[in-house]
Amino acid sequence: MKQTMKTVLALLLILGISSGYASAQDANELMKKSHLAYFYAGDDGVSDVTMTIVSKKGKERVREFIMIRLDNEEGGDQKYYTYFKKPSDVSRVTFMVHKTSVGNDQRWIYVPSIDLIKPISADDKNSSFVGSDFSYEDVSGRHWTEDNHTLKGEETLDGKTVYVIESIPKEKYKGFSRKVSYIDKESMLPLKEEYYNKKDKLVKEFVAVKIEVVDGITTITTRRMNNIKKGGHTIVDFNKISYNVGVKDEIFTERYLKNPPRKYIKK
Amino acid sequence: MRKAIIEFSIKKPMIVIGLAVIITAFFAMQFPKIKIDTDPQNMLESDEPTRLFHAATKDNFNLYDFIAVGIIAEPTAFTPDELNRVYRITEEIAELEGVIVDDIMSISMVDDIKQGPGGSIVIEPLMEDEIETDEEAQHIFQRIMNNPILRGKIASDDGKAVAIFIPIESKTISHRLSTEIKEITDRLGGNAEYHIAGLPLAEDSFGSEMFVQMAVSAPAAMAVIFLLLFLFFRQVKIIIAPMVVAMMSVIWAMGLLIYTGNTVHIMSSMIPIFLMPISVLNSIHIISEFHDNFKKYKHKDTTIRHSINELFVPMLFTSMTTVAGFLSLALTPIPPVRVFGIFVAFGIVVAWFLSLTINPAIAMLISDKTLRNFGKDTNEEHGMLAKLMHKFRDLAHKRYKAIIATFGVVVIVAAVGLSLIVVNDNPVKWFKKSHPIRIADNAMNAHLAGTYMNYLVFESEDEGSMKTPELLNYMLRLQDELSKDKTVGSTTGVTDIVKKIRYELFAADSSKMTIPKNSDEIAQLLFIFEMSGGDPDDLFKFVTPEYDKANLWVQLRNGDNMAVSAVVDRGNKFIEENLPPAGVTVKWAGLPYINIEWQNQMVSGMQKSLASSFVVVFFMMVFLFRSFKWGFFSMLPLTITVMAIYAFIGYIGKPYDMPVAVLSSLTLGLSIDFAIHFIQRLRVIHKRTKNFDESFHEIFEGTGRAISRNVMVIAIGFLPMLFSTLVPYITVGAFFFAIMIVSGLVTMLLLPSITQMFKKSLFK
Repeated sequence: MKQTMKTVLALLLILGISSGYASAQDANELMKKSHLAYFYAGDDGVSDVTMTIVSKKGKERVREFIMIRLDNEEGGDQKYYTYFKKPSDVSRVTFMVHKTSVGNDQRWIYVPSIDLIKPISADDKNSSFVGSDFSYEDVSGRHWTEDNHTLKGEETLDGKTVYVIESIPKEKYKGFSRKVSYIDKESMLPLKEEYYNKKDKLVKEFVAVKIEVVDGITTITTRRMNNIKKGGHTIVDFNKISYNVGVKDEIFTERYLKNPPRKYIKK
Repeated sequence: MRKAIIEFSIKKPMIVIGLAVIITAFFAMQFPKIKIDTDPQNMLESDEPTRLFHAATKDNFNLYDFIAVGIIAEPTAFTPDELNRVYRITEEIAELEGVIVDDIMSISMVDDIKQGPGGSIVIEPLMEDEIETDEEAQHIFQRIMNNPILRGKIASDDGKAVAIFIPIESKTISHRLSTEIKEITDRLGGNAEYHIAGLPLAEDSFGSEMFVQMAVSAPAAMAVIFLLLFLFFRQVKIIIAPMVVAMMSVIWAMGLLIYTGNTVHIMSSMIPIFLMPISVLNSIHIISEFHDNFKKYKHKDTTIRHSINELFVPMLFTSMTTVAGFLSLALTPIPPVRVFGIFVAFGIVVAWFLSLTINPAIAMLISDKTLRNFGKDTNEEHGMLAKLMHKFRDLAHKRYKAIIATFGVVVIVAAVGLSLIVVNDNPVKWFKKSHPIRIADNAMNAHLAGTYMNYLVFESEDEGSMKTPELLNYMLRLQDELSKDKTVGSTTGVTDIVKKIRYELFAADSSKMTIPKNSDEIAQLLFIFEMSGGDPDDLFKFVTPEYDKANLWVQLRNGDNMAVSAVVDRGNKFIEENLPPAGVTVKWAGLPYINIEWQNQMVSGMQKSLASSFVVVFFMMVFLFRSFKWGFFSMLPLTITVMAIYAFIGYIGKPYDMPVAVLSSLTLGLSIDFAIHFIQRLRVIHKRTKNFDESFHEIFEGTGRAISRNVMVIAIGFLPMLFSTLVPYITVGAFFFAIMIVSGLVTMLLLPSITQMFKKSLFK
C-alpha cells in the first residue's frame, strides 16, 4: 500500500500536478506549525547545551552553556539568556537576546574580565553563532512569514513520513536562496533541512540526530549542522531539558546579565 | 668503430638520413604529451622543509595564493562612482571559476568592526551595497583608515588607490583569471587606472609567455644562423646540414624529456635555445673544413674523410667538455636545473653524433655539379675573415707581451668586478619594465601596502598559547621591529584584531588600543568577535581555532629577494635577541620566502657545480693534450671569459639571478671549445711541419677562419633574443654574444701569444 502511494506520489510529482495537491496556503500553515513546535516548545525552557564544532580537519572545539528561553507570545516575541561555562576562559560570559517577530532583535553581551555589558549588533541574523556552523537564526528561528513556502510532497525519511517543503525568501537573503525542509508529519519537527545558495548549490544541511520526548514534548535533543561548503560540522546536544518551569521575565535584564539567576545556573 | 660509422654515412647516406628521420619522428610524437610547470616552488625538492612548512601554513590557516587588482584614480578613488565600479567589478570577479569567493578582500566584501547604534559593537560589511553620496564614500575611507586590519591593504592612505585581493584555488589558473579580470575591468572600470599584479600571476604568466618567446626566438635564431652560414659558404644545400642537426638534436632531447615524464619547467624550456648553438658549432667546423679543402681534394668523399679525421678529436673533446659542464648541473639541489643539465647533455651527445653522420650524409647527396664551384666563389684566403685573422696573427706575433699584459689587467679588473656581484631575483622582474605586470607591480606597491605576502608563523605545543598577553605583546614588538623596514607595507596579526575590538568596545578610546593584561580578557574579546557577526574564518586566517598557532601577515612592497631577505633577517635577528615565550617557535613561510630559499640553494649549488666541472674539464684537457702545461693554458680562455662576463654583470649592477646562474655552465662549456680546436690543431700542424713559425702561420688560416665563423654565427644568431619581452631571454641572448666574442678573442689573441712566449717549452 505504502509502495503504491509512493509510486502515485512520484508520478504526480513527475507530471507536475503537485500544485493542486499542495497549495501555498497548506505549506504556510505547515511551516508555522513546525516553527512553533521547534522554537516555541512549551512556554519556557531551560537546558544545558554542549556544542561541538568540528573543523574540516576533524579538530574539535567544545562550548558549554546554559540556555534559558521564555516565550512572551506564541510565534512572536521571545527572550533568550545564555550563560557560558566552557571554554574556561570565557566562563561567566553571558549573552541575552530579545527576539521580536517584527524588526531587529536586540542582543547584549556581558564581558566579565572587564565587567562590561555591551549591546552587540543583530543586523546580520545569518552570522555565525559563537563561531559554530549554526547561525543566530538557526538557533532562534527564522520567522515563517519571511519566506514563500511550497509543499513539494511527502516522503519517507528514516521510517517517518515527512512533508517536503521548499522555502524561498521573499526578500534577497544571504543565508540561503532556497531551503528544503523535511518535516515529520507526526511531531512537526524538521528532521532535515537543506540550504542552497544562489547558484543552487547545497551549502548547509541540518539534521535532527536524536529526538526524545521530554516533559511530554517531542524535542530534538541532538542537532547537527553539516557545513557542506566549507567542510566540518557542528553538533549540539541538549541535556537536562526542562519545560514550563516558570521562567520570569525579569531574568532577561542587564542586572541578571552580571549576576546570573542562581535558580537555573549552578556555578 | 669511428671509421665504420663515417664510412657508412658516406656510402649509405639515404639510410642514415632515413634512420635519423624515423627517430626524430618518434621523439616529435612525444610533444603532444608535454606537461608544463612554471611554479618556481618546484625549484625546491618536493620534500624540502621550507616548502612543506609553507604548504602546512596555507593549510593550517586556510590561505590561498592571490591575484591583486589595483585601482588608481585621481584625485581620489573614494567617490560613489569609483567605489560602485569596484563594487560591481568585485561582484563579477566573484563569479569567476576558481576564485575563493569568501576570502576576497575588497571594499565591498570585507567586514569592519565598529560602533553601532546605542553604543553597540558591530561587525558588518564595510560597503554593503552601492552608495550614492560623497559623504558615504568618505565615511568608508575613514573606516578603513581607522582599521589596522584594512588600512594600506585595500586602500592607500592618500585615498587614490584601492585594491582587491582575489584568492585563487591554484596558481596555475592565475594567467587565465587575469585575462578574465581584465575583461571585466575594461568593461566596468571607467576612467581609473586598473592594474593586475601578484607573484602567482607573474609566475604563471611567465609560463605562457615563455612558450610564445620560444616559438618566436628559436626560429628567429635559426633564420639568422642560416643567413650567416649562407654568407659564409654560399651554398644552400650544404648549410642545410647544420640546421637539420640542430633541429634534430633539439627534438630528440625535448622528446626524450617529455617521454620520460619530466615536466617542461622555465629552465627546460630553454633547452632548445642552449642546444642550438652547441650543435651548430660542430657542423660549422666540419663544413668550414670541407669548404676550405674541397678545392684541394676535388672529391666529396675524400674531402669529408679528411675533414672528419682532422676534426674528430677536437669535436669529441669540445662536446665532452660541454657535456661535463652541463652534467655538473645534476649535482645541484634544484630538480629543474638537474633535469635541464641532464637533457642538454643528452642533446649535446646527440648533436655530436648527428654532426658526424648527417653532415657527411647530406654532403654525399649533393651532386658534384652543385659543388663544382664550392669554396671557389668566395676568395677565403683574402676575404674579410682572413684579413682579420692575419691582423690577429701579426699582433700575437709581434706584441705578444703586450697582449699577455693586457689580459693580466683584464683578470685583475674582472676579479674586482666579481666581488661586486649582487645576488637578487624576483619573478616579476623576469618581465621587461614596459610589461603590464611590471607596471602594475610598480604602481600598486608605490601606493599600497604591497602585493607580496610573507607569513611569520608562531607555533606551540599547547592549545591556547596564542591568547596569552606574553605572546601577543611579543608579536606586537616583532611587528614594530619589522615595520622599521621600508619594504614592509603592513603587518597584521591576531594582535590587531584584539586591539581593534578592545578599542571599539571602549567606545573608540585610543588609549585602549592595546593588548589586555590577562588571558581571559583576550579570550573574551575574541569571543566577542565571534559573537558579533565576525566571520570565524576571518579570525582563523591569523590564528588556529585551537590557539596553538598564530600567523602574522607580513605584507611587502618589494618582491626582490634582496629586499625580502633583509626583512627576514631583521625578523630572525629580533627573534634571536629576544626569545619568544617558552615553548613557542617562530618560522617564516610565504611565496617570497620560498623564492629566497631556492635562490640560496641555487647560488651555492651553482658554485659547486661550476667548481666541479672546472676541475673535470681541466683533467680532461690534461688527458687530451697529455700535458699539464697545455692543460693549464687551455683553461685560460674559459677562465677569463667566465671572469670577464660575470665581472661585467657585477660592474653594471645586473643582479645575479636564476638565468645568470645557469648560464655559468654554458659559458664554461662553450668557451673551452675554441681553445681545444686551437691547441689540438696547432699541435697536429706542428707535428706535420715541425716548425713553430710555419704552424703559427697556418693556424690562423683554416682553424682561425672556422673559429671566427663560429663566433659570428652564434654571437649574431642569438641577437634576436635581445628583443624578447622576457628578461631571461634577453640575458641568454646577451650571454651567447659575450661568450663568443670574449672566448673568441682570448683564443685567437692570448693563446697564440702564450704559445709564442713559451714556444720552446711547449714544442720541445
